[in-house]
Amino acid sequence: MEAITARPGDRLDAIRKRFRRPLEIISRGVVGQVVALAIVFAIFTPGTGGTYLSIRNLQNILSLAGPPMIVCLGIHLVIVIGAMDLSTEGVISLVAVICGFLIKNTFTPYDIGFWVVPVAVAIGAVAGLAGGLLSTAARMPSFIATLGMWWVAQGLAVIIGRGNSVKMEDPRFQAVTNGETFGLPNTILIALALFLALWVLQTRTRFGRHMYAIGGDEALARQAGIRVARVKVLVFTLTGAIYGFAAILLSSRLATSNPRIGNGQLFPAMTAVAVGGVSLSGGVGGALNAVFGTLIVVALNDGMVLMNLSPYVQNAVNGIVLILAVALTIDRKKIGIIK
Amino acid sequence: MEQPVLELHGIEKRFPGVVALKGIDLEVRPHEILGLVGENGAGKSTLMKILVGLERPDAGEIRLRGRPVVLDGPEAAIRNGIGMVFQDGCMIRNLSVMDNLFLCHEDPFTRLGFLSPRKMAERARAELAAVGLSDLDPATQMSELSAARKQMVEVARLLWLSEHYGVENPILILDEPTTVLAEGEVKILFSILGELKKRASIVFISHRLEEVVQHSDRVVVLKDGEHVGTMERATPGAPVAEVPQVVQLMVGHELSAEHYRESMQAQPGAEVVLRVRGLGKGQAFRDFSLDLHAGEIVGLVGLLGSGKEDVCRCLTGAERPDRGSMEVLGKAVRFSSPKDAIAVGIGCVPIDRRNDGLATSLDVADNINLLVLRRLLAGPFLDPRRERESADRWVRECLIKTPSLRSLCGNLSGGNQQKVVIAKWLAAQVRVLILDHPTRGIDVGAKEELYARIRTLAASGMSLLIMCDTLEEDIGLSNRLVVMKDGSVVREIPCAARRKPTPVEVVSYVV
Repeated sequence: MEAITARPGDRLDAIRKRFRRPLEIISRGVVGQVVALAIVFAIFTPGTGGTYLSIRNLQNILSLAGPPMIVCLGIHLVIVIGAMDLSTEGVISLVAVICGFLIKNTFTPYDIGFWVVPVAVAIGAVAGLAGGLLSTAARMPSFIATLGMWWVAQGLAVIIGRGNSVKMEDPRFQAVTNGETFGLPNTILIALALFLALWVLQTRTRFGRHMYAIGGDEALARQAGIRVARVKVLVFTLTGAIYGFAAILLSSRLATSNPRIGNGQLFPAMTAVAVGGVSLSGGVGGALNAVFGTLIVVALNDGMVLMNLSPYVQNAVNGIVLILAVALTIDRKKIGIIK
Repeated sequence: MEQPVLELHGIEKRFPGVVALKGIDLEVRPHEILGLVGENGAGKSTLMKILVGLERPDAGEIRLRGRPVVLDGPEAAIRNGIGMVFQDGCMIRNLSVMDNLFLCHEDPFTRLGFLSPRKMAERARAELAAVGLSDLDPATQMSELSAARKQMVEVARLLWLSEHYGVENPILILDEPTTVLAEGEVKILFSILGELKKRASIVFISHRLEEVVQHSDRVVVLKDGEHVGTMERATPGAPVAEVPQVVQLMVGHELSAEHYRESMQAQPGAEVVLRVRGLGKGQAFRDFSLDLHAGEIVGLVGLLGSGKEDVCRCLTGAERPDRGSMEVLGKAVRFSSPKDAIAVGIGCVPIDRRNDGLATSLDVADNINLLVLRRLLAGPFLDPRRERESADRWVRECLIKTPSLRSLCGNLSGGNQQKVVIAKWLAAQVRVLILDHPTRGIDVGAKEELYARIRTLAASGMSLLIMCDTLEEDIGLSNRLVVMKDGSVVREIPCAARRKPTPVEVVSYVV
């Protein structure tokens, strides 16, 4: 029996084959992101007279990167399946307020200690589940369903907390989030542990394969027999659970919880997703991309702060970076009409 | 004779306004290649969709290996060993070959919830080798594969699935597998299919009749939702039948001339409305020239992929040609969007009426007036009275049956929707109208009305370029046929009233 070989005359195919492995790494991996990170360093190191490259600042970047990396790892899961999640800030605030009342504080008699972590994860998961069900069972665009969830959760956070800032009186939380292990900030280590878990999920489980299949082509995934709605709801739930976890980190770092904890978390996470090379059209990019995306965004912002750039300039730069990154990663062939 | 693997008895399927299948009987035997042919709209795809569980028959029985079955979804079909390789492919581009091969059936490679890429790759290599892809790395991303290889990966998936579910002699359905292949690849495909026959039955759908008669063991011809003939190979190695024999069955008996209002066919005027010279675009088509006269109906004929669709997209401004020139009424034109084409008077009734032709969520009046809003202004604002008058005029003119001007187009019947599309172009006073399968999905009565409408349009001096569902329709309506094959015009055939060529004569140039 003959084999189907490359088309006669198509020598390009042979060349492509030889260079496929390296090309694949560039197009699907994070080489571009490493280069971008190098450029950021190349700009700010001389720009700050070398301060940027000091151990102190590098540690600072890593410690700043922890919480947004976790948020970004959460949000990127939803984007990989081709959906969108905007509920981030509301859910984080809601979880933070509720959990603020559950660990030792000045308002309530409760003190459940580290048991608050599973509680936070569970509350986040319920919020994510709600968004997921809205987008699958009620067949709403996920972008609108989660926009609604954002404001619902944000509202609940203010109602439950009555707008108060709650001081946390359990010092162990701060000790963990602001501490270091082997010279590395604990938050980044926690974020990397989460990365590892998600990376295994994506590359080594059926669930992960099915996520990418759905992100690649939902109709074909359904045709292949994948229970699309179930996978999608689970992904939203997982993302919500990660938000819940991030909420605990964010509030314990400040030793307070209030309904504004989540504010400003969505934009950097979304930028990091795009910068990291996770395509907003779904199916391309993974946890590693989320990690590098966050590092780039955080390093960039740290540099701008060190150079004393005006916050407004910083905002504008972040906006440009987001737009550029999306422009480079989105697959326009897949989206018939762009709205 | 061996017992058939699959038997269909009296399969019927109706869609709103159309009867797609009128009681089909069909059997597939073990270890055979069954060729399935028929014109567009003969019911091939509907029948195959029923077999893979994407559609349910309204009546009839499906028996698999002697036992009646209900195929209520792709999953059920797969479990029963029926799989289809679709024309546009159903592999997910961003996944690797092995991910696609085992998608949704990964359990043999899962231990404690974790996949083993090593085991998957190992198995994938074995499965790929069975379809002649032993040199393909299973980790390759699907999007990097050529069309031929994608197809064989799909075949490998279907074979693996049937083995996975313990099905003996699965049925593989291939829909137009050769249209995307180069000549050498076609040969390889058939040598692989010949090999696969030892473990499967293959249903092979194609418009390329030479291939069908050459490589099939039996050929079944469908026409208008009926099984009109079966031919069987008499001597090993010989073709199943002669191509003209098959064509005769496919196009069937002659229709009465008046069906297409031939008495209304007029001589076209002398004035050339649209002149095209040497038009070409990439690989799709080349050197397309045409003089379209006032009041002339030209039928553009060719198989799917002959380039005729691309020609039309260039003429309507939906795509830009790479080469060549166009003139409208003697003035050179160049379109960068459909808007430019409309501006010089070229309109298009697209094949996909509900998505491209109409705004189904708007009402009848809004659709008709869509292109002429400028003329309905009173100062800077739209004048509701003039809107109503304009719409009312065209509704009466085109005999559109609608409860009111404000009824949503989505609620009208197919025939009336088509009339709204045409009314829109009449309101815009176009000189040239391109009709892309105008009678698709329209019931018989409405078709006749549409034929009459096409005649009156031509009589009023409008030039029409048509592409129809069947050759009969093209021949019946046109003053002239332009036949395309593999991207080039191969022949022009005059179709004067009462001296029309037969479909059999025309089809020999098409295939």
